[in-house]
Amino acid sequence: MPSGLQNLDYAAFVVLFCIGLYMVLARSNLVKKLLGLNIMETAVFAFIVTSGMVDDGTAPILGNGVAGPFASPLPHALILTGIVVAVSITALALALIVEIHRQCGTIEADELKGAE
Amino acid sequence: MEHWLPLVAMAPLAAAALAPALGRGRPALAWGLGVIAAAWSLLAAVLLTRRLVLEGPFSYAMGGWPAPYGIELRFDALSAATVFVALIYLLVLVYSRRYAEAAIPAHRRSWYYSLLMVNLGGLVGFVCAGDLFNLFVFMELASVSSYALVAAGGGRVAALAALKYLLAGAVSSVLILFSIGVLHALTGSLNIADVAARLAATGAGAPAALALGGLTAGFMVKAALFPLHLWLPDAHASAPSPVSAILSGLVVNIGIIGWLRILPIFSGLETMALGMVYEALAWLGAVAIIAGALAALFQQDIKLMLAYSTVSNIGYIVLGLGLAHPVAATGATVHVLNHALIKSTLFLAAGALIHQTGYRTLHDLRGAGRVMPWTCLALSIGVLAVVGLPPTAGFLGKWYIALGALEAGRPVFAVALLAGALLIFFYYVRILNAFYFRAPAQERMLSVREAPLSMLLPVLLLAALCVLGGLFGRWPIDLLAPLVRQLPGGG
Repeated sequence: MPSGLQNLDYAAFVVLFCIGLYMVLARSNLVKKLLGLNIMETAVFAFIVTSGMVDDGTAPILGNGVAGPFASPLPHALILTGIVVAVSITALALALIVEIHRQCGTIEADELKGAE
Repeated sequence: MEHWLPLVAMAPLAAAALAPALGRGRPALAWGLGVIAAAWSLLAAVLLTRRLVLEGPFSYAMGGWPAPYGIELRFDALSAATVFVALIYLLVLVYSRRYAEAAIPAHRRSWYYSLLMVNLGGLVGFVCAGDLFNLFVFMELASVSSYALVAAGGGRVAALAALKYLLAGAVSSVLILFSIGVLHALTGSLNIADVAARLAATGAGAPAALALGGLTAGFMVKAALFPLHLWLPDAHASAPSPVSAILSGLVVNIGIIGWLRILPIFSGLETMALGMVYEALAWLGAVAIIAGALAALFQQDIKLMLAYSTVSNIGYIVLGLGLAHPVAATGATVHVLNHALIKSTLFLAAGALIHQTGYRTLHDLRGAGRVMPWTCLALSIGVLAVVGLPPTAGFLGKWYIALGALEAGRPVFAVALLAGALLIFFYYVRILNAFYFRAPAQERMLSVREAPLSMLLPVLLLAALCVLGGLFGRWPIDLLAPLVRQLPGGG
């Protein structure tokens, strides 16, 4: 593999992360802000999962005729927990957005600022 | 005896799962469960701290798997904060019963206690976590429950504040998780002690500095260090008062304690990156002291005033850590604990005033000193402590930080600290003036009764602790001394 492409996954991670951060900061719609947050989280999950990759590694499952090298299973296990946390944050945020819409009639951050 | 350490966090989490099920339609039962769990945690924390004093720091291997591979819970000087966490929680829960009856809709009350228990479990687990990933998980337990608790009372201001808090908190959590990922990729380990040992051997300067930067930025958002504090005032002021006490006293400290936890990892790092972080924190802390105190001065709402005072106090703590001098670091770590006591006293007392009178601005609350003497006494002691006058708990930390600034040859920071204290003194005078020396502005203030005993007792007990914390200040300082010595560049 040419050396420039070797860290392609990291470059993709940085791009995704920046897209997410931009959405959180610049978008006025609260649901879009939340989507931006989810994109950021996905970027970090992808980064951590790929960090467990080993060149020519196989799944670390014991059995007949299985030989190393193995990919590290630990990042996957961590990210499963990370996904659970992200889902609960998303659920809570959506519930809050519904509540805000019910009380204020809008979910645009700049209109909400005027309403306060 | 061996298993107290996991139980200290597990008991509240189990109570959190049981409370909504058993307490369905019977919020008093959920409350009782919460009080038992908090009392249990307090008992366990006291026993564990006793063992810490007698034997020194110790670990517990979850499921019997030894340290670098299994999950390690560690009880050291920093973990002794569990005593404060559990004690404040117990008092807040006792206080919460009457307050929640008025402030939380009946069908949500069991869930409210359940969320408080999740929060307690998260906080206790956080200070005892021995590996990076559990640090993250417990931090998220405490954070997510805090976002929800802000909105527990209902109302649009609270919902907006909760969402703002959630977005800031979640972005900072992502940063922290990313940095943990970098550290894991560099060292292949998650155990904090193991990562610290391996990181020095890798010799990877730039990625390690990136991880340090990400962790510092993430934890400082959680700690609401100026200028990352914008989420704090609304969230802390619009939450129900017992929740405000928890958020301002305990949950902001996640940022500080988390940062203290991860700092030893980077002690092998070349001093330049660490030095830059320290320098930036010292300046931001100094600005936060002044900015927070100035903003507090211009508030009419008593809870907003206290929320801005939290921004200022976090400034003191961060300045003390950023000075990288052992005396200042001692002051900062002690102030973490004392600020927890002081700020929960203040928010609970302010909550009692709001609960009894229905007013929350200084103008409307004029004359409160005559109708609610005990609550106002506790509030006055709390404000005295937040100013940092000598016999109280607030004095200790600020004195050590100022002394450290002078010894480190940075008198400009000592000046900033004094200026902040003077500004805070102004709002102390404003509060005293309104409560004791002005004629009531609202006619209803004349017929207001003193708060019920279940609210008054926790407030008075905390106020007494604010004074005792100053008189017996030697004890936490001695306990925290090994921690301070362990900080890179701080000992």
